[in-house]
Amino acid sequence: MVDPHDRSDRFELIAACEGATLAQFANDVLEGDPPLSVRQEPRPQLLMQQVCDPVERRPFNLGEVLVTPAEVELEGTRGFAMVPGKGERAALSGAIVDAAVAAGHEETPAIVAALEDVAAREREQRRQDWAQSKHTAVEFETMEGQE
Amino acid sequence: MGYVAVTAGEELVERAEQLFEKQRIDDDSDDIGVDQIEGQLGRLTAQAMSEGGLYAPRLAALAIKQAQGDTVEAAFLLRAYRSTLERFDETATADPAEIIASRRVSPAFKDVPGGQILGATKDYTQRLLDFDLADDDPEDPTAEWDLDDEGDPERLTNVTELLREEGLLHEPDEPMVDEPNDTTRESVTYPPERDEVLQELARGETGAVTALGYSALRGYGQVHPTLAEVRVGRLPVRIEHPYTGEEVTVTHTEVTESEAVVPVYEKREDPQFAFGYGLTFGRNERKAIGMTVLDASIQLDSDDEPAENAEFVLDTVDGMDSFGFIEHLKLPHYVTFQSILDRIRAIRERKGLSEGGRIETGEQLADPAVAGTSDDD
Repeated sequence: MVDPHDRSDRFELIAACEGATLAQFANDVLEGDPPLSVRQEPRPQLLMQQVCDPVERRPFNLGEVLVTPAEVELEGTRGFAMVPGKGERAALSGAIVDAAVAAGHEETPAIVAALEDVAAREREQRRQDWAQSKHTAVEFETMEGQE
Repeated sequence: MGYVAVTAGEELVERAEQLFEKQRIDDDSDDIGVDQIEGQLGRLTAQAMSEGGLYAPRLAALAIKQAQGDTVEAAFLLRAYRSTLERFDETATADPAEIIASRRVSPAFKDVPGGQILGATKDYTQRLLDFDLADDDPEDPTAEWDLDDEGDPERLTNVTELLREEGLLHEPDEPMVDEPNDTTRESVTYPPERDEVLQELARGETGAVTALGYSALRGYGQVHPTLAEVRVGRLPVRIEHPYTGEEVTVTHTEVTESEAVVPVYEKREDPQFAFGYGLTFGRNERKAIGMTVLDASIQLDSDDEPAENAEFVLDTVDGMDSFGFIEHLKLPHYVTFQSILDRIRAIRERKGLSEGGRIETGEQLADPAVAGTSDDD
């Protein structure tokens, strides 16, 4: 069970959250004009995806993945987020949301509820994808001796 | 080969570019959206991402739109874009066993644990034009499926592990290494390390990987594998969280994986299987299988056949290299050609063949007397 109060879980949920939702929460958090500094500007960057070759069990570089990270400090509390693809606004909003929850901002219950919805949606999507695939499971029969 | 700078009107170059863009929009239909390309032409975006070595579905769709459907050009645009970016980090090393499969078939094992899952494919149906698609009126053919009782998602056992457990897998001699070489930062030196081979094949041009893999199957090689499994699924992209130090998932990449078994007979006292491996970004089974054949072929390390020669394969399959070299032939080569003309004229004159002193047509160049002189160069 994922917990939006847990920083690692929250990171994953923010990464999976819609950018518009993150932006809405970030705007709500910033409405009272709290002190905010951007420690890492949101800029697209690369992650080199390393995979373990199952034959020799040694890692190799599959290729790079485009991500956008950002880090902020909100009222003395740091927040970090990374979103897939080129998403400067979503990454900055995500970092603000992360810091807000870490600091126990008054928006926290609403943010946590939204992130729990993201977790439920992800679970349901994965279940549905798996169900669709399983619907095509087949048992091949050999036809030896049959003309 | 000699080069010389030429100049032309900048405005004319811009006009040519404008005409190219006009071709894209010069009909009565709506402008095709990046969302549509990303959502409906997934094979194209997969190919561009794979060959570009950059997983970015939306930007791949944009690149395909800009390149008017030319996947190699789109891959070129992605590589050019990535060259402008910083690298945040390497990911935690993912194990392919973690792939959340949407399709897995094993041509080697009929009763593979976890089952044969056909997934989304037209592999088993006839290739006939579907004229209904011309109607622009899509219907979901799965709308009536009852999907309530399929259980929770499972992780499918990797087929190679079954053979490994039986001791049938040829274990490599080399010790495990922690940090792979990165061929985007350091050029490959020969003989290459296996991780370099896999990285270069993973971003090879689909047609080239397929063709060279096919060459081995056609008899220009000794590898005719049986595929242990082909999988399509999602692979987690994980980093270490800067605050907690825990591994966290940023996203998933869609990948295609292929593993092939190849009998190894030289160890006659202990016959085992060797393996070929293929893994690419996106849904591209043909390329993943071609990569598998080439990986197995390269392990034979032979100069006898093209597919078994690592240097030949890796120098040939990169789409950017072949794209650049083939396409550069369109650029002005006036000085180069002038020197060839001068040489041929001199030879003709020396042999008393120069009547008019000028070679004006291709037919004249193809004259047997002239063609015969080319070996003298």
